[in-house]
Amino acid sequence: MGIKKVGLNKNVAPQSIVEKIFFLDFAKGLKTTIKHLFKRVITVDFPFEVIVPAIRFRGVHGLRNVDGTEPEDFASWVKKLKIKPPEKGETRCIACKFCQAACPVPEIFVIKAEKLDVPEDHPHHGLKVLTQFDMDLGKCMFCGLCTLACPTACIIHTDVYDLSSYTRRGAILNKEQLAKIADDFIARRGKEKFDEHSHWPDTQKVWPEYDLARAKAWDNNPPVFGPNYQDQE
Amino acid sequence: MSWISLEKIKRLGEKFSYANVIENDKGFHSIEVPKENLIDFLTFLKTDPDYSFKMFIDWTIIDHGQKADPRFQGVLILYSPEYKERIIVKTWATNETLPSLTGLWTGAKWAEREAWDMFGIRFEGHENLVRMFLWETYPYHPLRKDFPLRGIEDTELPSLNEKERMDQLEGTMNYSRMHTALPTLEDLEKTQKARMPQKKAQVVLNWGPLHPGTHGTIWFLFDMEGEYVKECDIIIGQLHRGVEKLAENMNVQQIIPYTDRMDYIAAINENHSVCIAAEKLLGIHEKIPEKAKYIRTMMAELSRINSHLLWLGTYALDLGALTMFLYTFREREKLMDILEGITGARFTINYFRVGGVYADLPYGALDAIEHFLKDLPKRINDYETLLTRNRIWLKRNVDVCIITEEDVYDYGLTGAVARASGVPYDLRKIDKYDAYGEVEFDIPVGEKGDSYDRYLVRMEEMRQSIKIVKQCVEKLRTMSKNDPYFYEPEDKKMKITIDGRGTKLFKGEVYAAADNPRGELGVYIYQPKDGIKPFRFRLRSGAFYNLQVFTKAIIGRPIADAITLLSTIDPVVGETDR
Ligand code: SF4
Ligand code: SF4
Repeated sequence: MGIKKVGLNKNVAPQSIVEKIFFLDFAKGLKTTIKHLFKRVITVDFPFEVIVPAIRFRGVHGLRNVDGTEPEDFASWVKKLKIKPPEKGETRCIACKFCQAACPVPEIFVIKAEKLDVPEDHPHHGLKVLTQFDMDLGKCMFCGLCTLACPTACIIHTDVYDLSSYTRRGAILNKEQLAKIADDFIARRGKEKFDEHSHWPDTQKVWPEYDLARAKAWDNNPPVFGPNYQDQE
Repeated sequence: MSWISLEKIKRLGEKFSYANVIENDKGFHSIEVPKENLIDFLTFLKTDPDYSFKMFIDWTIIDHGQKADPRFQGVLILYSPEYKERIIVKTWATNETLPSLTGLWTGAKWAEREAWDMFGIRFEGHENLVRMFLWETYPYHPLRKDFPLRGIEDTELPSLNEKERMDQLEGTMNYSRMHTALPTLEDLEKTQKARMPQKKAQVVLNWGPLHPGTHGTIWFLFDMEGEYVKECDIIIGQLHRGVEKLAENMNVQQIIPYTDRMDYIAAINENHSVCIAAEKLLGIHEKIPEKAKYIRTMMAELSRINSHLLWLGTYALDLGALTMFLYTFREREKLMDILEGITGARFTINYFRVGGVYADLPYGALDAIEHFLKDLPKRINDYETLLTRNRIWLKRNVDVCIITEEDVYDYGLTGAVARASGVPYDLRKIDKYDAYGEVEFDIPVGEKGDSYDRYLVRMEEMRQSIKIVKQCVEKLRTMSKNDPYFYEPEDKKMKITIDGRGTKLFKGEVYAAADNPRGELGVYIYQPKDGIKPFRFRLRSGAFYNLQVFTKAIIGRPIADAITLLSTIDPVVGETDR
């Protein structure tokens, strides 16, 4: 078993008399600090400069609308739960409450679906629509379990992180607000995050390379990204 | 696996007629002893050269529910440094009392106070059985099964209710005016008195609970003679959130985000402990896909570097070396970027799952890690030039607050604190969980156990971590992008999901732990029948037991050493309080 002994006189020599008299320990320390004096600034000047969160970042939630990139089994889920088939631009949520079931704090969600009030001969008779979807993000710990549970890739995490408000009520978002957050996010960064099939395409990058503020924090010498595995392009 | 063999434990059963061996199909055998014979039996276990279970690990209670009689059971976990194995000794707490083990292991002191606080079990022979986390006048014992999860909401707190605005909100999301009990100033005064019943010297100095030097909300009481500490006690619990209670009410994947909030500085390692324990209980720990194993090992080591960087920065800051803080935070920032990119969060990570990890590495992750590691050793050398042989640093650290090998066994110290005292106790080597059996690294071990050794051990640990991460990266490079990162059970009875829904735990009992930057975070799961929610979920916190030795090591030292000692023990309050 590999054991490495450390300690004064073991891997560290005690101070010699010369060092003590001439304050060499301080001189060496000062050399290091002076070296840093001539380096470029690495702090990000927030709020004038903002770091773009990584694409996997788990920020404020959003509810996605139907836009043609649904998972293949979307139609069958809609059928199974007796939901009115959504048009383009309507929410993907099928009120299955899987997100709530996966969540460690289920009281965050209030999800309701109601039957449509249409005559019996209408094709949508007996089908439901989502009427309420509230999330109390004040209780959320942004763990991401809800997004992994959603069968329709409806509930997602966006990169929005500034959710402050003067009252607790401001932390409660309804379905319109959530949909708007998701739409904004998809418009901005949808391409980075999703491809047609999955949440986790293997082109997803650690963080966006176009982000100059982050490069600054990396001593202006950010890493160049390449494939992880030998069979990845 | 570091567990006592069946044959050896059976010999114990034969030797003592009152002892009853409980076999376990996963290999975690335990032994049951009546409480009248407990002390004799344990003295034998501790002193007999064939067993020598010298090291105290954990001492806790299981509540079997109101209907069971006897209702409470004590569970003691010990470790034998000679034979590198663990054992569980159980005993029934009839009449809600148990004998105190403080005569055998001083470390049982806090464990027993915690058990009294949480379960209301009295320990006969304990010198000062006061509460551990809650205040002295608190009437309930919250980990009992009949205590509701939400607590008993009997205190009105209108200030938390924004009356005007909240009324507009219909439905369930309004906030209730009623709140669970809160301590008043008077309660706190009583608590303080009870913690230190007799003053030895003239002045009792309060340090904390909100003092930057305490790195969290810890409240120290020092009884001082001039500048020297004669007596010390610590009041913790300000951050107690009842993680164990919460864990008993949810499935195991949902517990993981809660552990993020325990040791928030090394959240990944906390997640790791839970995963290892649950996987052992399910019996799948050897079937975890290799990719997941390597990713987990790599992430755990990155997290260790992250944690040690923060430790070094704040430690040096406390001792007056301000620049250090800025330097380590620069490196830490990069590491946080990497963690954010891979896991989706900078701090409360929740990346590991029972069965693997929740997503594969994103594009470029290994490059970012390699890029970071390329210059880290140089930076660590820089830090060392600034500190290691600086005369002020030497004066404030060498021979300060020595923790001996005896203390390590008595108090159940783990992690860097144990290793600095010359005990090569490292679960990564002993248990070889995940990929630790396949990577090469050394355990840094100190000699004297003073603050300086603890400093050197952690510095060396960072270097060893770099070595481990490099090996993991190399190995991961040879894998394919299609290799699985999550275990899919073949067994029909077993269900494990990435989102946690329906994840079931099997009947059984397990104690498993990971070596975290702050010591051994052990998870003890007791499950009387198959089910989703664990019946008893015990988190054995390394930081909690490590902090306990503070009260001993500071005695006879000047008050200024308290800072050094606390920094080198390096507890995180989220974990000590749970
Ligand atoms: S992120 Fe976690 S806590 Fe928040 S709503 Fe989703 S599952 Fe619940
Ligand atoms: S899991 Fe998805 S589809 Fe189901 S209720 Fe939640 S958001 Fe809607």
